[in-house]
Amino acid sequence: MADVKEARVPDIGGNADVPVIEVLIKPGDTVEKDQSLITLESDKATMEVPAPFAGVVKEVKLKVGDEVSEGALIALIEAADAAAAPSPAAAKAEEPAAKAPAPAPAPAPVPQVKEEPAPLGGRSVLPGNAPEGDVPPQARPPFDAKLVMPGDAPYATPAVRAFARELGVDIHQVKGSGTGGRIVREDITAYVKHALASGARPVSGGAGASVGGLNLLPWPKVDFAKFGEIEEKQLSRIQKISGANLARNWAMIPHVTQHEDADITELEAFRKKLGEENKDLKITPLVFQIKAVVAALKKFPQFNASLDESAEKLILKKYFHIGIAVDTPDGLVVPVIRDCDKKGLLDLATELGEISKKARDKKLGPADMSGGCFSISSLGGIGGTSFTPIVNAPEVAILGVSKAQTKPVWNGKEFAPRLILPLSLSYDHRVIDGALAARFASFLATQLGDIRRLLL
Amino acid sequence: MANTIEIKVPDIGGHDNVPVIEVLVKVGDKVEKEQSLITLESDKATMEIPSSAAGVIKEFKLKVGDEVSEGAVIAVLEVTDGAVAATEEAPKAAPAPAPASQPAPSPAPAAAKAPSAPASQAASASGRKADIECKLVVLGSGPGGYTAAFRAADLGVDTVLVERYATLGGVCLNVGCIPSKALLHAAAVIDEADAIAAHGITFGKPKIDLDKLRSFKTKVVGQLTGGLASMAKQRKVRTVQGVGTFVSPNEMEVETAEGKKLIRFEYAIIAAGSRSVKLPAFPWGDERIVDSTGALELKDVPAKLLVVGGGIIGLEMATVYSALGSEVTVVEFMDQLIPGADADLIKPLAKRLGGKLKGIHLKTKVVEAKATKKGIEVSYEGESIPANNVFDRVLVSVGRSPNGGNIGADKAGVAVTDRGFINVDTQMRTNVPHIFAIGDLVGQPMLAHKATHEAKVAAEVVAGQKSHFDARVIPSVAYTDPEVAWVGVTEREAKEKGLKIGVGKFPWVASGRAIGIDRTEGFTKLLFDEETHRVVGGAIVGPHAGDLISEVALAIEMGSEAADIGLTIHPHPTLSESVGMAAEIYEGTITDLYMPKRK
Repeated sequence: MADVKEARVPDIGGNADVPVIEVLIKPGDTVEKDQSLITLESDKATMEVPAPFAGVVKEVKLKVGDEVSEGALIALIEAADAAAAPSPAAAKAEEPAAKAPAPAPAPAPVPQVKEEPAPLGGRSVLPGNAPEGDVPPQARPPFDAKLVMPGDAPYATPAVRAFARELGVDIHQVKGSGTGGRIVREDITAYVKHALASGARPVSGGAGASVGGLNLLPWPKVDFAKFGEIEEKQLSRIQKISGANLARNWAMIPHVTQHEDADITELEAFRKKLGEENKDLKITPLVFQIKAVVAALKKFPQFNASLDESAEKLILKKYFHIGIAVDTPDGLVVPVIRDCDKKGLLDLATELGEISKKARDKKLGPADMSGGCFSISSLGGIGGTSFTPIVNAPEVAILGVSKAQTKPVWNGKEFAPRLILPLSLSYDHRVIDGALAARFASFLATQLGDIRRLLL
Repeated sequence: MANTIEIKVPDIGGHDNVPVIEVLVKVGDKVEKEQSLITLESDKATMEIPSSAAGVIKEFKLKVGDEVSEGAVIAVLEVTDGAVAATEEAPKAAPAPAPASQPAPSPAPAAAKAPSAPASQAASASGRKADIECKLVVLGSGPGGYTAAFRAADLGVDTVLVERYATLGGVCLNVGCIPSKALLHAAAVIDEADAIAAHGITFGKPKIDLDKLRSFKTKVVGQLTGGLASMAKQRKVRTVQGVGTFVSPNEMEVETAEGKKLIRFEYAIIAAGSRSVKLPAFPWGDERIVDSTGALELKDVPAKLLVVGGGIIGLEMATVYSALGSEVTVVEFMDQLIPGADADLIKPLAKRLGGKLKGIHLKTKVVEAKATKKGIEVSYEGESIPANNVFDRVLVSVGRSPNGGNIGADKAGVAVTDRGFINVDTQMRTNVPHIFAIGDLVGQPMLAHKATHEAKVAAEVVAGQKSHFDARVIPSVAYTDPEVAWVGVTEREAKEKGLKIGVGKFPWVASGRAIGIDRTEGFTKLLFDEETHRVVGGAIVGPHAGDLISEVALAIEMGSEAADIGLTIHPHPTLSESVGMAAEIYEGTITDLYMPKRK
């Protein structure tokens, strides 16, 4: 009726000696074509090896821990009758038969009854496993299978679980090094050592645990009405969203702010002249700052970069999209002007006018606000001598611009009145070191001091 | 030479009910003017309250956790003679007896945050002088309560144990697990003596001296409760007899024989247990209506006994009274005895019990019970109406309800659910961080071994350890004949949730030992995760099932695979072998049975 065929490891991308980490079948199992037989784990990936044909497993030739290469024998499978196996209807028909609990009288032991042909690749993960950490008092169910099912319950003995508690380690985060992934005592200590070395806290639970495990005090609760009249007002949607982003950026990014002065006496004279020539266009100092920033980014490519999620790789960008922080009645938004390196001053002035209007009219779409390389936050029109802008992640630096003031500057012979623009450059110290930032800021100042250099 | 003054809390910026987080002096300490006495912690700041005068502390009125406002008395001070106090030399003159600058043993860290939570709803401190002060009060001395008190005391916590009855031990020792086992032993001997007649040994009908049997039961209980009392003494756990209720988050009042006593505590563990549900359909004023406590009193052997509720307690008592000679009828509302256990597990029990009892009636309930001269007359509703409706005694064993509602929990700010349970976190903490709850009143299953485990967690947390309730499985046992025991995942749950499990089921008919004791109706069943072959559940029915289930519980907690169990050598010939054989069946390595080869 059927013959026994061999199921072998197929081409696995030239990898040799790849360990078997899971065996998904056992003798007697009915497998369908392409059903996973074993799981292999190479350096790069986990892969499941599918059955080349349907049938009943006669013998499994591998076990967890074996290392295999292409062509290794996985199992002997008695191929199912070509007509019966591939049709799903047939498989279903088989199921109820297997399910019948066979109420065998005591003397004849019931052979172990299988509910389903076999797990169809991957483990059965039950959702919503309760954390073992501190949870608020709650009604506990008497028992739930999730407490013991291997997909949900960490593979550790009571003593090891208690040890993890002792050290404040969330055992769900620990990878086991024992057979089949069993978590042993050494895994807990290794986890703590690693956590300490990487600066993260091993502690589970607590508010803010999602942000790299910051264990912060709860927010102070004050009954403000006790001290005088108050009024409650909802934060706008933009404020809520930007607030959460700002809080994360401030907490996660090691900020340093480099302050620098730019002499813009000549730039301002030129800008005014340009303004008179183009009366229909508002030419703000910001367009010059954008140009200067682009020049600085070209010279210091590390500023036109982002850290990847793992914080192990730097992604350098070959384009120059500048974000401009715009104050709107609903809160702060940062529209992005694309390809600033390819646009002239007048083009930029036009675009800046348009995008600012769009922002104030709440017409900005997500596309208008994404893809920025570097941001500029200008408070020059309002006042101030310096401030610390918050880096707009995943960007690595932001330029803050305060109000220009005429100041006496020593020119070698005498004090001359010069228009001085204060610049504040905040940067992600993980990516940029202080000397580089000082050079960047100084370069910016030079560019703004003599805009002819922008041509260079 | 000196006069005493009261040192009070000065103006503390208009804050009320500011918790004391540290006490820096104690009675007998010599303090100088401006020396700090206590530390208060408001929302904003920690402040030390200085002494307004120099002198010796005669009496101290506060302790950690108290909440104070301006004007509260901190201490009574015997003011030092003016001349002495004023001189610079004075403090140096008396350094030895007063290590005043050394802070008193500081409280466990949890104490600091404790008082703030309940403040909104809890009662404020009574302001009365406490009769007893302690670090920990444990309310209830059942297996949970006494374990908590003893563990805490062993960890150096000054502990008071409050128990309403004269003997320690709670329901378990006095009117539950222990006396019922003594009686079940008697029942087992009667049954075995009867059964062996079939194999050539006849003892004749047993003569039952009920007084003697009762005194055996009493002796068993007395031995254990007496042991508890002496162990409490050895550990210097103070016991207070009376009904305790909270009056504030840090005070408990106990109605003792000598009057009311106020206990002031830093921590509390509520272990007040549960009580039998008294269905209102029954005339409880009549002494023929009993709960488990009444049934265990063993007043007489009723000719006709009705057991309402076919759960563990009901069936255990049915087993006892049936062996002693009562004609026992059991009615159960659900479709199975011991609802919750797998059906196959109950079959051998139902079969054996069915042969001994007058009748087992499922899906049936008693809707009315009247006390008449003839007996208790009942009327039923359901699918299996018993023929008889007049009984000499009726045992109502339909479950237990928690005592969370009867302890003044609200005064302490502790939240109690509508049904009387108290919710806790994994450290057994209630919503009030310095008050814990354990045992029956924190939820099902209401089992002594769960309570003792929780008790240790709570006591250790009070003592500053990082313990959590981390047990994955809690075995359940019915000490019926045959015993029924299960732990972890049941086939019922696996089916409901679609878990991929495999079963290894060893029928005792293949066990030499079971054949030798003529008890082959049992089986041992293990449930394995199909993918990892790790054991996730087990169930056993047969004599000593309750003893055998421990190995399965250990195996689950250890994450054992089928082969771990099968490859462990089990002694032969024992019933415990059956656990190893069930694993072998799953692995396909069994030889004591012939397993037809899988196709």
